[in-house]
Amino acid sequence: MSGGPLIVQSDKTLLLEIDHPDAQACRMAIAPFAELERSPEHVHTYRLTPLGLWNARAAGHDAEGVVDALIKYSRYPVPHALLVDVAETMDRYGRLQLANDPVHGLVLRALDRVVLVEVAKSKKLAGMLGAKLDDDTIAVHPSERGRLKQALLKLGWPAEDLAGYVDGEAHPIELAEAGKDGRKPWTLRSYQREAVEAFWAGGSGVVVLPCGAGKTLVGAAAMAEAKATTLILVTNTVAGRQWKRELIARTSLTEEEIGEYSGERKEIRPVTIATYQVLTSRRGGAFTHLDLFGARDWGLVVYDEVHLLPAPIFRFTADLQARRRLGLTATLVREDGREGDVFSLIGPKRYDAPWKDIESQGWIAPAQCTEVRVTLTDAERMAYATAEAEERYRMAATARTKLPVIRALVQRHPDEQTLVIGAYIDQLHQLGEYLDAPIVQGSTTNKERERLFDAFRSGEIRTLVISKVGNFSIDLPEAAVAIQVSGTFGSRQEEAQRLGRVLRPKSDGRQAHFYTVVSRDTIDTEYAAHRQRFLAEQGYAYTIVDADDVLGPPLPTVD
Amino acid sequence: MSTSLADHLRALPDESLAALLQLRPDLVVPVPADVAALAIRAQSRVSVSRALDGLDQFTLQIMDAARLTRDPADGTTSVDGVLAVATAGPHPPAPTSVRAALDRLRARFLVYGPEHRLQLVGGIDEISPYPAGLGRPAAELDARTAALCADPAKLRRTLLAAPPSARAILDRLAAGPPVGSVPPGALQAPATGTDDDIPPDETNGGAPTGSPVRWLVDHRLLVRVAGGKGGTTGMVELPREIGLLLRRDTGPLGPLRTSPPPVAGTPREPKAVDSAGAGQTMEVVRHTEALLEQLAAEPAPVLRSGGIGVRDLRRLARVAGLDESTAALLLEVAYAAGLTGEVELPGSAGRYGADQQVLPTAGYELWRAGSLAQRWEQLARAWLTMTRQVGLVGQRDDRDRPITVLSAEAERAGAPAARRAVLGVLADLEPAAVPTPEEVLALLDWRAPRRSRGREAAHREVLAEAATLGVTGLGALTSYGRLLLAEATATEERDTDDPLGVRTETEDAASTAVRALDALLPAPVDHFLVQADLTVVVPGPPEPALAAELEMVAEPESAGGASVYRVTSGSVRRALDAGYSADDLHDLFRRRSRTPIPQGLTYLIDDVARRHGGLRVGSAGAYLRSDDEALLAELLADRRVGELALRRLAPTVLVTPYQTGRMLAVLREAGYAPVAEDATGSAVLTRPRARRAAARVSVATRALDPLATPRLPLPRLLGVVEQIRRGDATARAARRAPAAVRGTPSTGPAPVHTHSDALAVLQQAVRDKALVWVGYVDAHGATASRLVRPVSLGAGYLRAEDERTEMLHTFALHRITAAVLET
Repeated sequence: MSGGPLIVQSDKTLLLEIDHPDAQACRMAIAPFAELERSPEHVHTYRLTPLGLWNARAAGHDAEGVVDALIKYSRYPVPHALLVDVAETMDRYGRLQLANDPVHGLVLRALDRVVLVEVAKSKKLAGMLGAKLDDDTIAVHPSERGRLKQALLKLGWPAEDLAGYVDGEAHPIELAEAGKDGRKPWTLRSYQREAVEAFWAGGSGVVVLPCGAGKTLVGAAAMAEAKATTLILVTNTVAGRQWKRELIARTSLTEEEIGEYSGERKEIRPVTIATYQVLTSRRGGAFTHLDLFGARDWGLVVYDEVHLLPAPIFRFTADLQARRRLGLTATLVREDGREGDVFSLIGPKRYDAPWKDIESQGWIAPAQCTEVRVTLTDAERMAYATAEAEERYRMAATARTKLPVIRALVQRHPDEQTLVIGAYIDQLHQLGEYLDAPIVQGSTTNKERERLFDAFRSGEIRTLVISKVGNFSIDLPEAAVAIQVSGTFGSRQEEAQRLGRVLRPKSDGRQAHFYTVVSRDTIDTEYAAHRQRFLAEQGYAYTIVDADDVLGPPLPTVD
Repeated sequence: MSTSLADHLRALPDESLAALLQLRPDLVVPVPADVAALAIRAQSRVSVSRALDGLDQFTLQIMDAARLTRDPADGTTSVDGVLAVATAGPHPPAPTSVRAALDRLRARFLVYGPEHRLQLVGGIDEISPYPAGLGRPAAELDARTAALCADPAKLRRTLLAAPPSARAILDRLAAGPPVGSVPPGALQAPATGTDDDIPPDETNGGAPTGSPVRWLVDHRLLVRVAGGKGGTTGMVELPREIGLLLRRDTGPLGPLRTSPPPVAGTPREPKAVDSAGAGQTMEVVRHTEALLEQLAAEPAPVLRSGGIGVRDLRRLARVAGLDESTAALLLEVAYAAGLTGEVELPGSAGRYGADQQVLPTAGYELWRAGSLAQRWEQLARAWLTMTRQVGLVGQRDDRDRPITVLSAEAERAGAPAARRAVLGVLADLEPAAVPTPEEVLALLDWRAPRRSRGREAAHREVLAEAATLGVTGLGALTSYGRLLLAEATATEERDTDDPLGVRTETEDAASTAVRALDALLPAPVDHFLVQADLTVVVPGPPEPALAAELEMVAEPESAGGASVYRVTSGSVRRALDAGYSADDLHDLFRRRSRTPIPQGLTYLIDDVARRHGGLRVGSAGAYLRSDDEALLAELLADRRVGELALRRLAPTVLVTPYQTGRMLAVLREAGYAPVAEDATGSAVLTRPRARRAAARVSVATRALDPLATPRLPLPRLLGVVEQIRRGDATARAARRAPAAVRGTPSTGPAPVHTHSDALAVLQQAVRDKALVWVGYVDAHGATASRLVRPVSLGAGYLRAEDERTEMLHTFALHRITAAVLET
């Protein structure tokens, strides 16, 4: 019995005890084939999935190595059946190959004829396969490449894609690490470099990095690697402009080379930044802006915040399989459960780093998460108790009792830039009046938004109340305190994204604070528990305090 | 001859006779009356067959050699004769090994007598008619074939002239068995070679081919023999002489193998083997426990045909996270180990007899208290000895019904022997050597061909089951598996050796296998790690006490080497319900956790405890409420109503365990003025009720004169008239039908009206479009007749139009008894 750090569970989860001296070596050994599922403070959970094992095969790891790693680091005997299962699963990969035939174009080729016969008979592949060229080869229509790969994956016979990627239209892009226009020189952080390398070696895929860890730079570095025209898809216009600013500052690209394709402007340049919204807008039932995908011979497509990718874009992406695709996200948790589609259409997860690791390296600010429980007044409780089911969350989340607590929290950090984030506009207006702070909401014009954000960045405004528009892609480096008053029910990724608003490393390395104010004994508490799950699994320990403690005499410091 | 064997046996010294009885123990069950009876039994087909079952392939081949060399006159053979045949091939075995094989046969008295006059036991020819896979001598089969065989040169020429397809058939028959069935028609088809006379063969690619069998039979190389089921399938036999000639290259007995085929086995790391096996044992024990727990929670009903239904198996497998075959195996093993049993359902003795359910037994509790290794050993031992072939579960029996778990259909008496045989092969190898299944099967086939034939699937199953149960790891026998096997064999030998139990039990409770396995398995852990996401990780198999505690306060999430639990508000509430206080829980976590308790967990426990018991539920027979608090206080103090056991729930509410009626009576007696209220709170006022019979209707509602004629409205009258007329028409039509078609034999002599006459009439009627009376027998056997106009006649049916109803009718011609033209 070796005293290894790893415990293999029969449901194919791997528990890694991180305080063990071999933990780091073990993590390196299992990372290629096991997916990190949870990383709380003591025991990290990895999972062996067929997808993960196949990705490992694709990256050149064989079953023998996987089994050896499991046995080497396992503390307890590993069940024989599990080892057999791992070997059998990995053996299924690559029996089929997607390859470019000089005569017939894209073909599906079998190294195991029986599998090809089995697959060709499947109803799920109906219409994707063309003529049978010989016993081992079937022609494939190039437009079906993505769908075919997806369907084969579902059948359990993943194809090895040897057809490669098109290079796209070349365009010189360099990282300006020496510093541009008199800015300070900088270098890519180690994990950013690893992420880009992992992505480039794999061809296409998703990079998962915490909010504030510099995903934009990973995108920029990938573009510098591709040196080709690039299409960047972002969530909204403000995020698009941030990308543009960052690209101009950090790469050799100039203002003229970057186009914005949004509701306001329709520019197509060597590097084009488009919003999901404009791509999915329809006129008369037809998607009018799809031509953008064919407007140029793009060499790289970058999907920002890929966990928000709308369903129609999934369908277009299936047609883009010959182009390199990079997905960026902090939280690959989709409340619609379609993580699998992201993987099969954009590519497997190529890089993932636990939040706490990046934090310990100092690239994101350490954050303290606190849940403040507010006891509703009797009148509010009575109103809540008799409310309709669909109104209950709103009633609990927007209780007026929260207001003094929020003000107390704001006053606790008089020198910090504070964001107050909520989901209900009425409540935000109340808050705006109560705290005497400006509001940014959906109806705020882009110009006004930029003005307010600039003022916030410069410190003119200390407190900003923002609605759901603040969930993503707003770069407010100096925000150090976020107070969440209400949200989209139990959305885990929203919580993580909101925490991300305060995770930009502070100039003096000070701590960030994330407060979430919930009403005790209501559905608000339940949703809060669900929302916190992702962050708790990333190792963020929530402290729960009562509102009375906030309102009363100042607490002794916790840190 | 049998007297001769009896004489022989009689002449033997006691030791030799005892040796025979030891080798063939079935001879003494029951003990024969005398030597003659013993001799008869020793030559009986059953006993000889059993004796042969235990012999290896080589010895059986030597037995065949002895049979082949029998003198046709007196049926004897000699050692020299056997040696000559056995060593005739190109790779002759050493004479010593042949002699050794003969000695084995002689020891069993399958062959007996002096060396130069060996006799064969009777009944051997009944068991396998074709010694060494060779046919009967040509002389016994066919005179002309015998003539051919007598002329070696001609025979050789004929053989060489055989077309390739015919030669292939010959080679197949020469390898044995020497008879084959031929498809019907093959012997009638033109022979191969007469190609000019037959058309090209479409299916096999153009070139004309005849039937090779026909060619062989025509050239006297094969002989038609009687046999086969029914007359259509022919049987052909290859005469012995030709078979021997064809076996020139291998020798008359076919390929001989004096020693068992080697089982090489790839060596693996012994530690890796043990580790993989030990991991599997943990799984097996855990899965068995999960299955039985599920069975306890929801017992599986026993089918009337025995066993557990497929749906129940599927359910159990799903809950335990297993595939069905593994679940079936574990259920069978648990049953064999006495961990589950059937229970008669009380009060369910209905039409189909008592219903039964499968439930964990009391033994299960004992088992659960044991250590991992002990629990596994109990299961593995049960598996070794159970007479069940679990691989049959899910297949279909002779009557095409699915075989279910624990049903009688999966019972196989040979299963334990098969397991011993297969595991024995593994045990004979070097430790941690991994043989291929094919090697194992080949060896088993050599060791006892008669026994292993048809058991390949069962042997493969044994290998798979051993892997599932962790007896083997990575395909090799584990160290503790080897010990278990040795112990099981030792126990058996001791038991058979010591029927009276004279020798005392020297073994201590824990067997060596258990101790060996114990050393491989992780030691139980008594602590856990608590994390901020409220998961609790036990880094190893939990101690029973710890497991019980966690079961109460947390929800299990994942199991295996370690167990992961999650604390939820629901699980905390469950613990509070079970009698833990918040402080107990804090204490439990502090005591057991190796890591600091996250503040969130502490808060969760306090928060749930704060609300726990905020609502109280109880039952009461009736309540008493009043807005007058003083009145209720007075009631509480009133001794006269003390018997009501009133309790104050609120200033304005009292409750009593008794029903309203009694409360009202007691209160009224005491001089109070209570009023009952119903579920909605409105007062129920009652007054004394008088007894009454059921309601009846007054005669006044009836019609004035019961005898007056009822008056019918006009439409109804018209309807009646139409009905009458229709009936009348039907009657007239029936009357008009000629006697011939009415088919009523009572009216005079039955008309001789043959079927063909009727057909002629109908054909004529079709041509003339005339009306015909058709008499027929309907589907219920009743005769009927109908006046119709035939439309068409053909395919066994008459289609005709009924003028009255204007419908097209179809009559089966064979049902038509008569047809007469309408006059």
